[in-house]
Amino acid sequence: MNSFTFKVAKFEIVRQLKKPAFWAATLLMPLLIGGIYFISFISTQDVDMNPTIDEDTKIAITDDAGIFGPSAPFIINGDKEYGVEMVKNGEVDLYFYIPADFAESKKAEFYHISEGLEIFNFDGNILKALMMQDASTRVDELDILALTSGYEIVDNKINKEGEASNALGKAIIPFAIGITFFMFIALCGNRFLLTVVEEKENRISEMILTSVSSKHLIVGKIIAMLVLGLIQILALIIPVLILVIINRNNQLIGPIVAMIEVDPLAIFLSVLLFIVSSVFYAGTCTFVGSLVSTAKDASSFIGPAIIMMVFPLYFMQMFMMEPNIVVQIMTYFPFSAPIALMLRSGFGTITTLEYCIGLLVVAISAVIMTKLAIDSFQKNAINFGTLKLKWLKKR
Amino acid sequence: MKSIVEVKNFQMAFDGKVVIKDLSFEVKKGEVFGLLGANGSGKTTTIRALLGFYKPTGGELLVDGKKYNPEDTNVDVGYLPEERGLYRKESVIDTMVYFGELKGIKEPREWALRYLERVGLLDKVNEKVEKLSGGQQQKVQLGLTIMGSPKLLILDEPTKGFDPMNRRLLIEIIEELHKKGTAVIMITHYMDEVEKLCDRALLLKDGVARAYGTIAEIKKEFGGKSLDQIFVDVYGEENE
Repeated sequence: MNSFTFKVAKFEIVRQLKKPAFWAATLLMPLLIGGIYFISFISTQDVDMNPTIDEDTKIAITDDAGIFGPSAPFIINGDKEYGVEMVKNGEVDLYFYIPADFAESKKAEFYHISEGLEIFNFDGNILKALMMQDASTRVDELDILALTSGYEIVDNKINKEGEASNALGKAIIPFAIGITFFMFIALCGNRFLLTVVEEKENRISEMILTSVSSKHLIVGKIIAMLVLGLIQILALIIPVLILVIINRNNQLIGPIVAMIEVDPLAIFLSVLLFIVSSVFYAGTCTFVGSLVSTAKDASSFIGPAIIMMVFPLYFMQMFMMEPNIVVQIMTYFPFSAPIALMLRSGFGTITTLEYCIGLLVVAISAVIMTKLAIDSFQKNAINFGTLKLKWLKKR
Repeated sequence: MKSIVEVKNFQMAFDGKVVIKDLSFEVKKGEVFGLLGANGSGKTTTIRALLGFYKPTGGELLVDGKKYNPEDTNVDVGYLPEERGLYRKESVIDTMVYFGELKGIKEPREWALRYLERVGLLDKVNEKVEKLSGGQQQKVQLGLTIMGSPKLLILDEPTKGFDPMNRRLLIEIIEELHKKGTAVIMITHYMDEVEKLCDRALLLKDGVARAYGTIAEIKKEFGGKSLDQIFVDVYGEENE
């Protein structure tokens, strides 16, 4: 890093770290998360894990252990392969396989089609309900308890091709990075604007540009803001990770943690996208800040840019399906591309090549926006009035 | 004596309106140079073009033989602009240390403390700038401008709004720097300051040089009149 850039970045970081407002904003977020966690923890105590059997739900059971009586419904004669085939063909919605060694292994298997992103599926407990219903006609209550307690139903999500499906597990990390980027926009936007406008608002831009070039001043400010944003993001992520680790055996958090699928390439690309998107956003805010001379003017100009950035969230449903022309445009339009790419990556509706092209578009846009901010700050350093389009022209 | 500033055939136009017409002058190393003229005559525009804030429509403006770039020059420049301020939310010492670091001073904190002691602001070291009075802020601004004893000092209406005490202090500091070999360009409306401090001067009217030379030469050219009277005569021409 150039020494001027470093000096500017150091000054900007240290002065922000000294401000109580920075720490208030930083620590408020984990407190909010803690509050939300507490509320959700309380509310999950009442989650109904014993769903009722819908009349339309088609169920099949292979009972190799002979648990069910001869007149029990849903029992089929076919083996496990046959049952799984029925699920693939759509003949049944839920298929349960009770192996011959069920009494020892205490494990039954549950197969259903899952291409979506549902976190919890308690349909596996339908087997328990059916077993109790069936047993109650034949044995006393103590036997029912012995029969239906202490066994595990292994949830096997499959796709229509019969392959194991873990859409949510694959989506968790890209979505987490997407949410982090969204938080970054929410937390840092105002500071990006103010840090650039401040020099003009305080009439210090001429003095400072006699000592340092606009290039190093702007790049230094961007680096500082990214570092500060990172501090705030870490303050957000670390408590979440601690909560997850502490509650890894929780009935709600445990299954999510277990299903996380780590794809090194996808994570690498997601992190890269987060970095270039942050620089692009910082460059955009800095450019807007360099055009105007007051924070008030700046906030009215940055609004449309932020709306364009979060635009894909309004079309979330569209991103879950086969990408149409609107999704394609949002994927390659620099402002909407960061969140569009993160969504498509999460929903698994983008190829690696498409993702890389989108990433490149954002990276090039980030460089262009930073360059525009540098030039604009130099040209508009002495524009202390309201924004006029002529100030955008080469002076 | 070699020139530290050379302005050659400088022209400047905004939206097609010419504000500086073929202006040429030089500032020699170690001299105090007065840039004079009424409001809107082109003084500040010339300085801003010299420091790269404006791109000239024509001609050349050089500092030590090349276009000014703060990071690629052998000449430390201190500039007190007409529009000046400070980081209002920062402490005095943090602001001064930051500028000192940007100017490449080895011990910026020590330099700042010595300066603040001299101007009677040592007790305000950790005070936020916004808590200082207007006069105290001006002293801090001046400190930022002269940090590191620059080879070229450009002061745009430096005594504007100064009380007599601060004005005297500023003049003392300019004289000290001059003795150390600093070249000073001073934009001012106070002709007594020009007569007291400046070796040479340039009088601008509507972007055109109306008088240029040593103070004695200018006076001689206008029949031995005082600078005040010369100023009034030049700007009174239109009314006659």
